[in-house]
Amino acid sequence: MNVARNKQPFDAGRAAYLTLNGLLLTFLLAPIAIVLVFALNPTPYISFPPVGVSLRWFEKFFRTPEFTNALWLSLWIAGCVLVLSIVIGGACALALARGNLPGRSFLTAFFMSPLMLPAILTGLALFQSYLLAGIGRPVWGLIMAHTLVSVPYVIRTTLAVLHNFDRRIEEAAAVLGASPTRVFFEVTLPLIRPGVFAGGVFAFIVSFDQFPVSLFLVVPKGETLPVVLFNYMKFDLDGAIAAASMVSILLALSVVLVLERLIGLKAYVKL
Amino acid sequence: MISRRTLLGTSAVAAATLAAPSILHAQTKTLKITTWGGKWGEIMKATVLPAFEKEFKCTVSADQAFPYVPKLQASPKNDPLYDVLHTNSNEQWNCFTEGLVMNKITPKEAPNVADVYPWAVSDKIVGVAIFTSAIGLGFRTDKGLAKPTSWKDLADPKLAGARGSYIIPVNSLGQCHLMMLGKLYGKGLQDLDAAYKALEQLKPIKLVDFTGQMEKMLLSGEVSMGVIHDSGVYRYEGQNQPVDFASPSEGVMALEQVLNVTPGSKVKELAFAYIDYMLRPETQKLLAEGVWYSPANKKVKLDAKYDEKLLTTEAKVATLIQPDWKWYNARKEDIDARVTKILKG
Amino acid sequence: MTSATIKLDNVTKTFDGRVLAVDGVTLDIAAGEFFSLLGPSGCGKTTSLRMIAGFELPDSGRVHVAGRDITDLPVHKRDMGMVFQSYALFPHRTVAENVAFGLRMREVPKPDIARRVKAALAQVALTGLEDRKPGQLSGGQQQRVALARALVVEPPVLLCDEPLGALDRKLRQQMQFELKELQKRLGVTLVFVTHDQEEALAMSDRIAVMNHGKVEQVGAPTEIYERPRTRFVADFIGEINILEEGGRARALRPEKIRLVSDGARVSGTVDTANFLGGSTLLRVSIADGRSLLVRETHAGERASRLPGDAVGLAWNDADAVTLES
Repeated sequence: MNVARNKQPFDAGRAAYLTLNGLLLTFLLAPIAIVLVFALNPTPYISFPPVGVSLRWFEKFFRTPEFTNALWLSLWIAGCVLVLSIVIGGACALALARGNLPGRSFLTAFFMSPLMLPAILTGLALFQSYLLAGIGRPVWGLIMAHTLVSVPYVIRTTLAVLHNFDRRIEEAAAVLGASPTRVFFEVTLPLIRPGVFAGGVFAFIVSFDQFPVSLFLVVPKGETLPVVLFNYMKFDLDGAIAAASMVSILLALSVVLVLERLIGLKAYVKL
Repeated sequence: MISRRTLLGTSAVAAATLAAPSILHAQTKTLKITTWGGKWGEIMKATVLPAFEKEFKCTVSADQAFPYVPKLQASPKNDPLYDVLHTNSNEQWNCFTEGLVMNKITPKEAPNVADVYPWAVSDKIVGVAIFTSAIGLGFRTDKGLAKPTSWKDLADPKLAGARGSYIIPVNSLGQCHLMMLGKLYGKGLQDLDAAYKALEQLKPIKLVDFTGQMEKMLLSGEVSMGVIHDSGVYRYEGQNQPVDFASPSEGVMALEQVLNVTPGSKVKELAFAYIDYMLRPETQKLLAEGVWYSPANKKVKLDAKYDEKLLTTEAKVATLIQPDWKWYNARKEDIDARVTKILKG
Repeated sequence: MTSATIKLDNVTKTFDGRVLAVDGVTLDIAAGEFFSLLGPSGCGKTTSLRMIAGFELPDSGRVHVAGRDITDLPVHKRDMGMVFQSYALFPHRTVAENVAFGLRMREVPKPDIARRVKAALAQVALTGLEDRKPGQLSGGQQQRVALARALVVEPPVLLCDEPLGALDRKLRQQMQFELKELQKRLGVTLVFVTHDQEEALAMSDRIAVMNHGKVEQVGAPTEIYERPRTRFVADFIGEINILEEGGRARALRPEKIRLVSDGARVSGTVDTANFLGGSTLLRVSIADGRSLLVRETHAGERASRLPGDAVGLAWNDADAVTLES
């Protein structure tokens, strides 16, 4: 079989396709590779070729309470945002797709609008609103702000699933004796779950990586990791930044993998 | 009132993360300040602030997250986000123009102000300066370069592509450099036309956002000579790095660390006390030797190693040139547009 | 298994307040009957079925099942079985879980569920596929799962919305036999929606032909075929010749026309001759530009009319059915 394939004449189209894909992958992964080199390089500045391999920046990262506290805070916030945005975004998407609401396209645009607004303005506007309302800048305010910019992702992915949803499946369940509540939990929810959780993964990453919205909303000693990294960079530009980035990337990746394992982000063969 | 609000914020954070017992501080005042990160921040958090809190029986909430000025601008004037604003001089002038900070801090409010060098309370300063760095030239000692004696040495054709400065619209060191070019090649710090022409001549030049980046470029050898403040070079003292700092004969530009109080602060007494505390000789010595800043207080006696390099005598202080930020800020938009055009080509 | 009567009493349904989907439909379906709703798309047959199921609420009129008015009863309390054209299987559940669903909703004890699921799958010849997901099955297999899922709860009424529409011809024919056989064996009342007249004729005890939201005719397949009451029914089912005689329309099936040499009512010329296997369908041009369809069955010797041949045509008056105007 393989031999036969090898004997096929040179296919220029396929070669071009593979080259293009290779280039794209390189383009996407190169920054991560550079960060990794910087993180493992013992010098406090980027030097190429690297002079050695050391874990000193990772050590510095994990030994600095500022970093680790920020890391946990960011993870904790992103976890809350994940939960909140799948609940809110999922409910919004259901209402938009199923609710027969008047002005549905306007409402959809409205729920998407946090994505249209520059995030820095969203952060600034919320900062001012919080101060004017006299509630200060509590951590739940930051969580709400992150949720605001994360919900559109969940709405989008859930709407995509709902768009292809065969409602006869729900009808079949109803005929078989399932009350509307049971239909929702037995059929609707399991079927839209891949869309909801795909959006949830986006939400987690949007929150975990969030800088512009957080910028104004973090409080002293309650700074998220991206804000801490940004400020650290202004004074100490060393490999700890790169180590922090690697830790962030690995954490985000593992969250995606765990969710994929637990819930199965792959859509079903037939919806 | 103010402390209760802050408490709401901090206690929510604490409850959410660790459930720390911040209720204990319910009756203590809270002083809200901005401060730098890095080594400075470490010393502040480890030593200076705890000692201040203990002495004045208060809590200090120190914001280390930029951008301070927009945050202050966005908060209500009668209930500002900070009581004490710590920034460089250029930003203080912006805030002063908008009525966000006070004009002068005098010995009446903070007695130690009586002991500062004139530059710390000059007409180029709003509030009071507590430290300054000297902006001059950083250079590699392993590239066969003679120690620069003039700002003009940066224009040496040998340094094409290996000289460094800053993105002028976003970095005050770059702005200082531009003004210095006016003085070198024209009629003075405010001769912008001469400065633009001179800037054109410096191309090709490597431009960075932060001073931290300039440090790394010097350390890695990407830049052989660049505009930088003395503290950014001296901090590598004793680490065997082939870099040094030179004070050009035309003078060094001042990069002042300025403290000021917001008019709407509800704890003004505490705010003045904090500024006074920062000007105490022991505080000044600790921080000056920690981050290589030249202290504002004349009475500070630094260890010989620091005394030798920093601006600690009347004669050395005389080499400081203080830019007129009020003048510069008023023209900033035009200057930004112009230099962006020059450096894009 | 029990079965139930179904009665639609002057039922009307409009959509968006304008389109009259079902217009005063009255139907009486006997217990254990295989009853088809036949008509072109948009005729109201599916809406009628969905009103029986409870997915649509009639604007006026009542729905009765087993003599009980269920018009206002929600879907899940109607105790019916339903098979959809798209099968509507639960893609996230296995075959066995799909079939067990209705039993679970009825809180049947677990061991009973297992036993009944097994029996239901055996009934549709799917034993061994219990753990597959619907996506791993062929169309025919999915159809059987849908059938087993609907029948396992032993509903007195089974509703089928074009259940065989997505299958290829061969499989469809096989499933027609199986479904008919199963229905007879279980005695369930079956309402079958289809646009395929052959399917309706082949399977039904009775057929209601629908058009524009109204029932045109209800009757046994032979009756519908032999004695169509309206021009629409005559036209919709099989091939037909419409004769205009004295201002009245009469319908004459092609197979009722004989090819004769003597005593022809009309004579004409063969235009086309379509060989259909068991018969040949001729189009014969007669006077004033009209033509008649004639079916010549090949019981004995194969007929040998060719285009261009002159033929004489005859039929019995009784075979020409007078249509309502």
